Amino acid sequence: MQLPINKNKPLIMHIDLNSCFATVEQQANPFLRNKPIAVAAYTTPNGCIVSPSIEAKRYGVKVGMPVREGKLLCPQLIILAPDPPKYRAVHRQFSKIFREFSPDVVPKSIDEAVINFSSTTSLYNEDLTSIAKRIKQRMREEIGEWISCSIGLGTNRFLAKLAAGLKKPDGLEVITHENLLATYEKLKLIDLCGINTRYQARLNAYGMYTPLDFYHAPIMKLQKQVFQSINGHYWYLRLRGWEIDAVNFGRKSYGQSYSLQKHTDDPRLLGGLLMKLTEKMGRRLRHSQYAASGIHVAVVYQDWTYWHTGRVFDNELFTTQELFQKVMLVFNKQPERKVVAKLAVSCYNLSPVQGVQESLFDTDHQKRRNVAKAVDEMNDRYGEYVITPALMMGLEQEIIDRISFGGVKELEEVYAM
Amino acid sequence: MTEAINEQIAVITVYDPGKKTMPWRLKWRGRSYQIVTLGYHHRVRQGRVLLHFYTVSTKTLTFKLRFDTEALSWTLEQISDGQP
Repeated sequence: MQLPINKNKPLIMHIDLNSCFATVEQQANPFLRNKPIAVAAYTTPNGCIVSPSIEAKRYGVKVGMPVREGKLLCPQLIILAPDPPKYRAVHRQFSKIFREFSPDVVPKSIDEAVINFSSTTSLYNEDLTSIAKRIKQRMREEIGEWISCSIGLGTNRFLAKLAAGLKKPDGLEVITHENLLATYEKLKLIDLCGINTRYQARLNAYGMYTPLDFYHAPIMKLQKQVFQSINGHYWYLRLRGWEIDAVNFGRKSYGQSYSLQKHTDDPRLLGGLLMKLTEKMGRRLRHSQYAASGIHVAVVYQDWTYWHTGRVFDNELFTTQELFQKVMLVFNKQPERKVVAKLAVSCYNLSPVQGVQESLFDTDHQKRRNVAKAVDEMNDRYGEYVITPALMMGLEQEIIDRISFGGVKELEEVYAM
Repeated sequence: MTEAINEQIAVITVYDPGKKTMPWRLKWRGRSYQIVTLGYHHRVRQGRVLLHFYTVSTKTLTFKLRFDTEALSWTLEQISDGQP
């Protein structure tokens, strides 16, 4: 089956805040403007840079780079610790602006959103590029004069995101059926969202070296040879501007991870950290009215080897105590104990909390759940960690608030606040 | 350079109906600072307590201030001169 390019009007808008965290810091502090700055997970030399400013990017400073390397590239680089509540406030502000233009807004991450104008375009007597300019203006007026964003318009989410990335910072680009092939001509395969170096190598192996080669590939070749799955069909449609990414994947798990500032193999300290991760995960699980029966633990060691395993249990886990017991059971299955650099726990096999199946032998089950709910309510009311498990004592400054990379799921909790 | 301070300070605010309430002058360690710009203001709920964060600047320094709406107190959280 051959399908033509989608010739409909581009009604999907992708908005991407430029260097989000760094720009927000420059907005708050005018003495940081026009300077190379970077927000890093930790300000120490091994801390990971999560958001370099536009000025820092000009020196080659990139996301994921250690602070030490950033400073080598740009000795005057100013390193800042992240301020997640500030970034969440900005996210809520720009989401509010977007929702005034269309009810169909999908946050893609803390600094990206997609607006679908399909159902609202007839309400406006102006084209979407004018609306995009108005959105940019509103963001400057209501969030701050230093806030800039890149906006892309396309017939599907893929092309809208591609358009938003064509000109940074402060860009506004439209990809239509008329300029689609000319746009592909200027790009590399790796510039396409969803094509990483491994996919690029795979496409190269089948004789596709440019986005145009990829576009001209027959659907059967993509489906049966290159991707050997339905993904080949999806890419065929995506490249022609047909929407196949507007799918809302439901919540499947809750997880927390932590990179240890001081690597350790001390079982007491690791137990405390696992308890804090479990408590954070359990709070989110209970807040969403779910229970879980699967537990997964992953450990990255100091020598960069890793171990991970998951297990599904017969009973539903709801309280931090229940979750932690199983987390430790899984954690203790490690074949050898080495110095740990990173810990991650997650729970899966979620089921809505309704009636609890009473156990014949464990009659205090419901009482423990009620206690967990009461403790959560006290923490909601009087502030996080007012009541904590004793194992978490002394860990107040460990596993502090962070925003996950590309995290979309945690945004549910931002809106719930 | 950014430095954590966490000290309670004296602040004079301006309330003008229809406009954002903002700090106008602050006194820290015996010195008085005239606020020139409001960089960003956001609110954070810590349990039942609502906190207002104001990042404000004088001609040479930026101050991050926290207003606790329950205790009605101002805390200087951070100070920055925008240098590495």
